[in-house]
Amino acid sequence: MQKILRKRFLRELKENRYRYLALGFLIVMGMYIVTGLVGAAETIIEGTAKAARENRLEDGQFSVFAPLDEQEKKSLEKAGITLEEHFYLDYTLLDASILRIFSQRDKIDLVQIDMGSFPVKGGEILLERRYCEEHGIAVGDTVKIGSFDYTVTGIGTAPDYESMIRNFSDSAVDSLQFGFGFVTKEDYEELKKSGESISSEEYFYAYLLNGKVTHQQLKALLRDFFVENTDRSVCKMTRFVPAADNPRIGAAADDKLVEKAAGLAAGVIVLILFAYVISVFTVHHIEKESGVIGTLYAMGVRKKELMLHYLTLPVLLTFTAGIIGTALGYSSFGAALQMSSTYGYFSVPRISVHYKLYLLLYGLAMPPLVTVCTNYLVIRKKLDRPALFLIRGEQKNTKVHNIRLRGSFVRVFRIRQLLREKRTMVTVFGGMFISLLIVMLSLNCYILCVHVKTENVEDTKFAYMYTYKYPEADVQGGEEAYGVVMKKETLGYNFDVLLLGIHKENPYFEAAVEKGKSKVLISSAMAQKYGLRIGDVLTLYHEEDDRYYAFFIEGIVEYSAGFFAFMDIDSMREMLGQDETYYNVVFAERELAVDSGRLYSVLSEDEVEKSASVFAAQMKNMVIMLLAVSVLMFVVVMYLMMKVMIDRSAMPISLFRVFGYKQKEIRKLYLDGNFFVIAASALVGIPLSKAVMDRMYPYLVSNIACGINLTFPWEMYVGIFVSVLLLYFLVNRILMLRVSRILPSEVLKNRE
Amino acid sequence: MYLVVKNLKKSYGEGGSFMEVLKGVDFSVEKGAMCVIQGTSGSGKSTLLNCIGGLEEADSGSIYVEDVEVCGLSREKLSDYRRANLGFVFQFYNLVPNLTVKENIQVCEYLTNKPLDLHELMDVLGLTEHQDKFPSQLSGGQQQRCAIARALVKNPKLLLCDEPTGALDSATSRDILVLLEKINAKYGTTMLIVTHNNSIRNMVNQVIFLKDGQVRKNYRNDARVPAAELEDL
Repeated sequence: MQKILRKRFLRELKENRYRYLALGFLIVMGMYIVTGLVGAAETIIEGTAKAARENRLEDGQFSVFAPLDEQEKKSLEKAGITLEEHFYLDYTLLDASILRIFSQRDKIDLVQIDMGSFPVKGGEILLERRYCEEHGIAVGDTVKIGSFDYTVTGIGTAPDYESMIRNFSDSAVDSLQFGFGFVTKEDYEELKKSGESISSEEYFYAYLLNGKVTHQQLKALLRDFFVENTDRSVCKMTRFVPAADNPRIGAAADDKLVEKAAGLAAGVIVLILFAYVISVFTVHHIEKESGVIGTLYAMGVRKKELMLHYLTLPVLLTFTAGIIGTALGYSSFGAALQMSSTYGYFSVPRISVHYKLYLLLYGLAMPPLVTVCTNYLVIRKKLDRPALFLIRGEQKNTKVHNIRLRGSFVRVFRIRQLLREKRTMVTVFGGMFISLLIVMLSLNCYILCVHVKTENVEDTKFAYMYTYKYPEADVQGGEEAYGVVMKKETLGYNFDVLLLGIHKENPYFEAAVEKGKSKVLISSAMAQKYGLRIGDVLTLYHEEDDRYYAFFIEGIVEYSAGFFAFMDIDSMREMLGQDETYYNVVFAERELAVDSGRLYSVLSEDEVEKSASVFAAQMKNMVIMLLAVSVLMFVVVMYLMMKVMIDRSAMPISLFRVFGYKQKEIRKLYLDGNFFVIAASALVGIPLSKAVMDRMYPYLVSNIACGINLTFPWEMYVGIFVSVLLLYFLVNRILMLRVSRILPSEVLKNRE
Repeated sequence: MYLVVKNLKKSYGEGGSFMEVLKGVDFSVEKGAMCVIQGTSGSGKSTLLNCIGGLEEADSGSIYVEDVEVCGLSREKLSDYRRANLGFVFQFYNLVPNLTVKENIQVCEYLTNKPLDLHELMDVLGLTEHQDKFPSQLSGGQQQRCAIARALVKNPKLLLCDEPTGALDSATSRDILVLLEKINAKYGTTMLIVTHNNSIRNMVNQVIFLKDGQVRKNYRNDARVPAAELEDL
């Protein structure tokens, strides 16, 4: 029997080709995006892990005020630790970008070459890939660093700089502004001697624990050096960063982990929606054929035989769409294309696409599986009805049918029609809700960029922020402050938080700090990222002391450009055992004449502005793509569902034509009632989807060090609502064409 | 006896809307007989047919088909019973719209291991030339012939027809009845035909009159008139 019934499939597809094409297209698109996205994520996660192993990625790094002496290095090596100096110097180039120069590495964090070769003699340099791409630098070109010219011999990447942030606390990557290069050891010394770097040399050591000691044991060993060697009081450890806490390391994989989880979950949600849409068609089909089904039951055909028949076409459709979508996802237009965003942001080597078996199974099995489950649940009841019930085409007398309605005929008719089509309406709402979730994701990305861009600039009232390694005795202009980098974890990521001691009357932050060692005010960015409020207890970890500090949050300061905790400078000095005049940060309205050798870093207002703009530029394409996908999904689902409603009402519509009703009147009865459902759904769906996405969004950007202000201006809500209604009117117009094709003779057709 | 119905009762509704449709129906039909059940609207003839077909459950009483009790069978067993023994023809043809005539018949061919010869059946029913047409391309009579072929192809022992000519004009009705007569003769199928039409009783072996849920008349018709000669259809 199935063999004969299967002959219907092609005819069914042909009869409803546009409906199935639209649905098939959406499923293909959905599976293409999901498998492409997840395939890219898997490739990046696995590929970068493999590259890290091959390039001997560090287990961690630490920095000191002054280099370790030979004896200290030897004692560390004796403990089984592999150590390598990763000292560097930062230079401002002619185009104002900053290039970090290292000497070549031999043991840890080896450079992987994309093009060319390592520098072997003086005057040669290997540059980082992203910096070269942004500056259009090719092998053979020349770059000027300080007063020296270098020929680029190679372009590559290093595993300890996947995320090309200059400082650990930076939130955005901007390869136009920052890059790094490797020169020979001799050239590095030459550069150092020239004294042209913008800050003093940084003494970072990369280490491999080799399974002999733990991070904590190494940290204790290092601390012992400084306690034992009291004559080297300046030789203090300034940073100790295990690889897991280093925001530059594994950044691409971290980024993709979120995409992978979100992609797989989104795939299932979207498939459930489409499967439900299909089930509405199937239910409509079953209702249309209820007489046939009843007759076949009367002949002895079993429910499971018909269930199998009615499930086969949706399963075949979704399976085929899944195959095409997965094939596209695995093609060069899929994962490979989606990886380009990673290559365009992170400094990772080129990786060939990894094809994961589970993803292949997901792409091929999930669409039919979700379809079987959803359709089985929905059509089971329909097929469960007795044969006579089906033959007579009786409708179940539900409570909904018994609702007594009052009002004009048109009003009552519309309400009855909506109650009758409640399943379709639920699907429209489901489609709208999922589309709105995508809209909210897209607009959250947009609004985050807007807030970062505008607020960072607005909130940054200083022109320069100088962080000193060796502060001068007196402050040479500007406003003194005392800053200590601490750590705080959220959603699995450990970010730098600057505990900043300031004077109450400082002109750069609206932070009225009070005396007290347990009182802080936090920046708005920090409050948003960590979900902190006034009255909460803030716990910060100080790596250097291996100690936790707890504070009461006394207020929130409007400052979106960083995670800052402000406290009274005198209280902070006392708390951390510094003398009464100690400072290491200076904020200034103009550039100060500071000896670069004394500085850790300089942050200018321009840099804040540039870094904020990078966010917006990076997100633009994604925002547009997500908006397009959501609009497409919403329009198709709404069109298909409303068309089903019209098809189901074809006979009564033709009957109304026989009675003499005009097109406008029929539209009023059958279509215009939907307006209220769409409007009500939008009124509920917009705030609901915004609330849901606002809850989910912090997880999606959990690896980004910036405040999360997702507040929409009211105009945006109005805009979304109006857009939904406009799309509804568009679909309504298109459907009127279908209504106009329903002729009075339809009545006769349906009665055979 | 092939079919025996004993003291069959069936009612609908509760309280004020309670209605007893069958009030203890008794009759029997011989194997291979053509039997007409007649009665006014609401007399319970369709309900009786549906109970015999296992589409409705009787409140009490018994139905034996070849000495097998039908009442009280589970849903699954009823399905097996219908599959093995019954063919149904309804007033509305209920054909699968996007299957051809031949395919519509084939749907039921697969319900048995010993189907009738499809081509012979189509030939008998005059459907050979229409076998590749879809239901929408057929007249009402042709569609009903297709529905009959579908019911017969699994070679049922008992064919239940509920107003088989109810939606057809006089000439087409006659054609259908001639076919039923032909099939009865050729395959020995026992037939139970529910109809309003008084003329049809002249062509069958047995006539049962139902009134107010009870058998008022049940007689053998020894003076059968061939269907082709029936008047006032």
